[in-house]
Amino acid sequence: MNDTNRFLNRALLLLIGLMLLGMGAGIITVFVSPAAARWWSTASASAQSWVDDAIRRTMIGDSTLSWGSVGSLAAIVLLIVLLIIALARLGGGRARSLVRTGGQDSPAGRIIIDTRFVSDALRQSLDHRPEILFSRVSVAHVRREPMLHLSVTPRQNTSPRQIADDVDHLLDNLATLTGAETPSYLSIHTGLRSKLARDQRRIA
Amino acid sequence: MSMSSAFRRVIRRETHSPRTAAMAVAVVLAIVVLAYIGTEIVLSLLSQPGLFVSPTAAGTWLTGLPDQQPAWAIIAPAALLALVGIGFILLALTPGRLPKHRIVRAGRVILVDNAVIASALAQHLSDHTGIARDRVTVGVSRRVVDVTVTPDAGVPVPDARIRDLIVTELDTYQLDGPVKTRVRPPQQRKGASS
Repeated sequence: MNDTNRFLNRALLLLIGLMLLGMGAGIITVFVSPAAARWWSTASASAQSWVDDAIRRTMIGDSTLSWGSVGSLAAIVLLIVLLIIALARLGGGRARSLVRTGGQDSPAGRIIIDTRFVSDALRQSLDHRPEILFSRVSVAHVRREPMLHLSVTPRQNTSPRQIADDVDHLLDNLATLTGAETPSYLSIHTGLRSKLARDQRRIA
Repeated sequence: MSMSSAFRRVIRRETHSPRTAAMAVAVVLAIVVLAYIGTEIVLSLLSQPGLFVSPTAAGTWLTGLPDQQPAWAIIAPAALLALVGIGFILLALTPGRLPKHRIVRAGRVILVDNAVIASALAQHLSDHTGIARDRVTVGVSRRVVDVTVTPDAGVPVPDARIRDLIVTELDTYQLDGPVKTRVRPPQQRKGASS
């Protein structure tokens, strides 16, 4: 669970996809249809002379540089920077603490419960169970509320109801311990780990 | 039960693909292409020869595009480009639902991979009928549970009983939304006399 901006993901995918499709389809059209080829020849020739003209008109003093080329270079650099920012902003949204009370809320003063404390407590209990192969606990902020996320990978053939019951029980205990019920999200996964692990011995 | 907006958001996000991998591929591709174009522009500004082609030569080549030969050497990459574009567009617009079910519990959000439900159901069936576990195949999708039992030497278990066991067990999982159970007719083993 993270804070990745999914709208941005899809918008960028759509934009880049449309550009690729446009280029590919355009090139094919120019080759297949004589009318499109004629149009392309005149349009691209006039476009090129316009670009040449623009570069000549924007020459900087006596140098060989032109504002036209420098400007397009700057635009390209800006685009690259924006795309790198989009990549760097993927993920994130993990919180370091689960409970954080204001000073007045409690006679003991300000209370902060670290995510690691909760994570250690829950994983200690979970990892004791033979049917659970892997567990991970994190806290994320969803709509400014802390949300506890337990991710569990059980052995194959384990009943999800049993895991849900066990985790329900653990979370109730945690609520007693920390004095507050935190909104929680449990995800039960399968994967290579559960496929490779041996099935538990069963006595029928 | 009314649910908090935080829970609704978690359910929505966790049951749909974020498309992060595809987005990263597309964006890296765009960065590489832009960086290449930028490099060629810089080289031409410095009056150096281009890496592959100078901007002026590229312009001339583009103008003469319809006359380039052989045509397939241009059309094939263009078709590939268009296909990749269509792929990205589909990824951007399709919902990308993940194969998961929600287990309904008050005050908590629980999401289970379909494969976990499938293997648990198969184990349950095996435990209660004596059919060997590896003869039971269960597939779980959003609305349907498919059960296939390969017959073996033992006493055959009637389909109705298989169905009953699966439906009863599935009910205890309290999944959201109705799920239909289908027992597929057992396939005869090759060479077995029927």
